[in-house]
Amino acid sequence: MAYSDKVLDHYNHPRNVGSMDKSDSAVGTGMVGAPECGDVMKLQIKVNPLTGIIDDAKFKTFGCGSAIASSSLATEWLKGKTVDEALTIKNTDIVNELALPPVKIHCSVLAEDAIKAAISDYKIKQGADVAALAQAH
Amino acid sequence: MKSLPADYFSVFGISPQLALDLPELQRQFYVLSKQHHPDRFARASTEQQRYALDFTSLLNDAWRVFRDPVARAEYLLKLKGYDTPDGRSNDGRASSVPTELLEEVFELNMALEEARDGDSNAKHQVAEALKHFTALRESLDRERDQIFAAYDSSKQEFHLDALRSLLHRRRYIDNLVRDAQQALS
Repeated sequence: MAYSDKVLDHYNHPRNVGSMDKSDSAVGTGMVGAPECGDVMKLQIKVNPLTGIIDDAKFKTFGCGSAIASSSLATEWLKGKTVDEALTIKNTDIVNELALPPVKIHCSVLAEDAIKAAISDYKIKQGADVAALAQAH
Repeated sequence: MKSLPADYFSVFGISPQLALDLPELQRQFYVLSKQHHPDRFARASTEQQRYALDFTSLLNDAWRVFRDPVARAEYLLKLKGYDTPDGRSNDGRASSVPTELLEEVFELNMALEEARDGDSNAKHQVAEALKHFTALRESLDRERDQIFAAYDSSKQEFHLDALRSLLHRRRYIDNLVRDAQQALS
């Protein structure tokens, strides 16, 4: 199957590969996977506590080219968005941008799931922080 | 014309079930193979010849699927409407795998990557992980056999949900064990 130029570009030059300290309260970590192909994707966001804007995003994906490209693109899109804006990113946006064929749509679903998981982790941490603060007072 | 059995279980004349007595089933397989062997119908009508051929091929498929417990479980799930050969539910969401397992999978993949780059430390880590995942697979198989028995005696659907989720985890581990073995060979 032929990959689109955009997929190849992200695959050959993945953006924002890496990892951040997952115990940092400003960092949200999403870990998702697709058992059938053995794909596993870790996506992290770092949110500026003052502005609520995602300052940094990192990913590491073990999987096919489309899974890597989908998560690479997702980190690019996440940077500079607020958490709520980030939640509006849909897998279909990724499909369209990367021209993914039908058999690879699940890779974009995985990326959307990873975004949601990272944001949910961040929100839980913030909630926990508030609770811890309340407890301290 | 005689119609073919509707599913693999009917081929053997049994009701849909998960735990099978394989030695007994194998005996049945030989009996049925002999009974329906196309050579025995060389002078029969075209219709009978056709039936013998179709039945035999169905029988071979059924036996191949039944003797592998994982393939058998997947087949029964499909028969019961759990039609997710690619592991996805109908809304396209990936089926859920516990986060702890995902983290272990991620760590092993990191180690595999480093091992491929020639890091001998990582190779050791992969060997350890291989042991861990092989043991995990064995415990999943024991759990699977328990679900088999529980479903067969109660025929309750929730056992199939549990089975489906177990098979997803197992497939993950299967792939990892294979990758780890390759990295170490």
